[in-house]
Amino acid sequence: MTKVITSLVVFICGLAFAQGPSKYEQGMEKALGLWKENKVAEATAIFERIASVEKDNWLPNYYVALVNTIEAFKSQDKTKNPAYLDKAQIALDDATAISPNNPELMVVQALIYTAWIVQDPMANGMKYSSKAMEQYYKAQVIAPENPRVVFSKAEFEIGGAKYWGTDTKPMCKEIERSIELFAKFKPETPFHPNWGLDRAKEVLATCGK
Amino acid sequence: MNKLFTFLVVLCGTVAVAQTTISGKVITHKGKPIEGANVFIEGAYDGATSDSNGDFSFTTTEKGHQTLVITYLSFETTRIPIEIETYQPQEWKLKESVNTLDAVVITAGNFKAGDNSKAAALKPLDIVTTAGAAGDIVGALQTLPGAQIVGESGRLFVRGGESDETQTYIDGIRVAQPYGATANNLPTRGRFSPFLFSGMTFSTGGYSAEFGDALSSVLLLNTINEAEQEQTDLSFMTVGLGLGNTQKWEKSSLTFNLSYINLEPYQKIIKQHVDWNKPYQSLSGETVFRRHFENGLFKLYAAFDYAAFDLNQKDINAPEPIRVDTQNNNFYLNSSYKGNFGSGWSVQTGISFGYSQNKIGLELDKLHNRENASHLKLKLTKKFSSRVHLTFGGDYFITDFDENYNEYNIGVYQSGFRNNIGAAYAESDIFFSKNFAAKVGVRAMNSDLINKSSIDPRISLAYKTSKNGQVSLAYGDFHQNPKLEYLKYHSDFDYEKTSHYILNYMYGSNGKTLRTELFYKKYSDLVKYDSEMAMFNSIYNNNGYGFAKGLDVFWRDSKSVKNLDYWVSYSYIDSKRDYKNYKAEVTPNFVASHTLSVVGKYWIDKWKSQLSVTNSFATGRPYNNPNETAFMNGKTKEYNSLSLSWAYLLSPQKILYFSVSNVLGSDNVFGYQYANSPDLSGQFQRQAITQPADRFFFIGFFWTISKDKSKNQLDNL
Repeated sequence: MTKVITSLVVFICGLAFAQGPSKYEQGMEKALGLWKENKVAEATAIFERIASVEKDNWLPNYYVALVNTIEAFKSQDKTKNPAYLDKAQIALDDATAISPNNPELMVVQALIYTAWIVQDPMANGMKYSSKAMEQYYKAQVIAPENPRVVFSKAEFEIGGAKYWGTDTKPMCKEIERSIELFAKFKPETPFHPNWGLDRAKEVLATCGK
Repeated sequence: MNKLFTFLVVLCGTVAVAQTTISGKVITHKGKPIEGANVFIEGAYDGATSDSNGDFSFTTTEKGHQTLVITYLSFETTRIPIEIETYQPQEWKLKESVNTLDAVVITAGNFKAGDNSKAAALKPLDIVTTAGAAGDIVGALQTLPGAQIVGESGRLFVRGGESDETQTYIDGIRVAQPYGATANNLPTRGRFSPFLFSGMTFSTGGYSAEFGDALSSVLLLNTINEAEQEQTDLSFMTVGLGLGNTQKWEKSSLTFNLSYINLEPYQKIIKQHVDWNKPYQSLSGETVFRRHFENGLFKLYAAFDYAAFDLNQKDINAPEPIRVDTQNNNFYLNSSYKGNFGSGWSVQTGISFGYSQNKIGLELDKLHNRENASHLKLKLTKKFSSRVHLTFGGDYFITDFDENYNEYNIGVYQSGFRNNIGAAYAESDIFFSKNFAAKVGVRAMNSDLINKSSIDPRISLAYKTSKNGQVSLAYGDFHQNPKLEYLKYHSDFDYEKTSHYILNYMYGSNGKTLRTELFYKKYSDLVKYDSEMAMFNSIYNNNGYGFAKGLDVFWRDSKSVKNLDYWVSYSYIDSKRDYKNYKAEVTPNFVASHTLSVVGKYWIDKWKSQLSVTNSFATGRPYNNPNETAFMNGKTKEYNSLSLSWAYLLSPQKILYFSVSNVLGSDNVFGYQYANSPDLSGQFQRQAITQPADRFFFIGFFWTISKDKSKNQLDNL
């Protein structure tokens, strides 16, 4: 009888937990929600906690890196940016250790370099622009159809082309292509990277103008 | 059944709700609450973010011994072992990260050129975009305070020290022959092309115990850790041709460059003050191989250089100019490994080998010499925490020098020496707080030839006085073996010695840097001899002494005017010494009391051009006039040189570069050579030591071929 009850308890309790979303899913959902609400520190905090549990999952660290990099782009106070970018870089290094040769991570690495360029174009421009391009080339070889790779690379190249007064048409075409790719893109899970379409449309609207 | 179900649900509840509350407060070291700190149990989803009072509270289902982690931007991540059942709410103090950009840095004596270095006064690009430097690392460093302008030498003279009081290191390994071959009173250049290096530190005194056998200064160059991309570089210059290529693989990369320089066509067009039979020609190349390992980086750097020239040098003591015909072969190999192991340990080890051979014809006499120099290095660092590091290690230097002087129809004189130097050091870096740091070290040295040991204590402190300002202090003793020119004839010497005292104030904010430094340097045990020149039969002793004291000021501003980046360096120095064959303690001939350099770089977006201006000024330098009774009483006129350069980016990968040094054609005089004996009227005749040409013009076209079309060779200029 004891055995039966014990196994029943284990079975039913297990069932009870399995029915609801897992802690991982709850956490990711909550963190992504907070990020949407612009609560960057809180979102980062939850991603960090998830990363401390999910030692074989690159996603939580990916989001720590992405959230902090985007924050550096948005920040008005340049003195805070090195701290954001250092945090992003450390998280990205951890993610890359879990998942090497991941084009999504390469895109974020390129964004970190781009943020350093924006931070101090005179000092960092030359050095980091070729490093950023290197990441895009690498990502392109692995995932030529990844919309974020196609879009981010084209957006980065537009910056250079505008400066040199060369033709931005090929990049605009690439952005158009990325929008088609976004439409077709299916993330592996709801928590896999799936951003970029809105931004691509925005950039396309002003492209070549 | 109903009862059983209720029972089960309750049981489930207890399984799920066996929760403990973890709460507390996060504060800074000074007791201020931290808002937004992330507090959580490692390996669990349980955690919270602290509120505006620094308070946090969350529940956990974890049990027993766990780790509480607290993270916050630009503070050190803290890990605290706790036991859930016995946990009591408490205050947790977070330490500010000392690795952040605004932490204190020891800056006394140091000029850094680096990317994200906090104490960087220069950026790597500056070396190559400073007008007048002509792509020479040493040329660019001469626009910094503390370095003297010694136009007839081209070498680094630091704070009243001679050029051989500076040692050069690549990736921590010594370079025994850092300068190219040249003739007497003609300026030389550093051998190394600047674009292979990503960071450098130029210390004008008070440097780390890791380095020794240098009385005045060390120049530390670090090769690039990782090639950016595969590319080919072509250069077409008025003085020669260059070719470079970089290949990249998964974990390694290889860069090489070759350059052929021939000054003959140029000197046919532009008038020279020097009578060349065969102008300077050289073939040189460098290569760097890098291989990344999981926990380390291996680098191999090699350079060769063959140079030849032939000229007739006027000499006041000879009726006809003396023909000097020089050939120099130089080879340098440096391999190093840097890696991490164990917990908090890192190792840096390497070996270098330098070979230099000179074949010099002086009219019919022949002077041949050969030097082999090696350095073996091992350095270990243990990080006890982010605040306490201990470094220790050893060096072994081997120098082997032979010289043959064949005096035509008279005989052959041989000289030379072999010296082995062993050294050991230990040094600790301690951050007492984000605002107060210290570096304390000691270095011991023993050389075979001197057969004595020296002990050098070194200490520096830095204290942050305000958000943007900090004060540094440094003291150190430095011993050096006497120079090659003496050791080849004589070995019964003691070490030469200096003590440095440095007080530095640095202010840095938003693209503006002010750095002021007061220094006092005491020289003792300098080599003296009793003849016109150091000879095999001179009588030597170590009774020389001297001092140098002064003020260095550096101001850089890259923000006030859009697209303009400029710096101003000013040095005042008072230095005297009694050494060599001096008759009294006087200011030596390489010291100018006041030196002022102004460097400006202006980017014109519309023209895709960078204009660069450098003006260097120095007051007159002493010289000895034997027609006067007072020793070293003459003073040359002031030195001034204005240089301009224009880099025009034709496209992202093609650059056209023009430069002119000494645009105004100032007739600079560096000193005078006097006749050994008076003429019939009892006067000693003299000749001025001047520039080899009034101006130097340079035009180059640089073309980079790569997949990524944004990269160009601006770095190389």
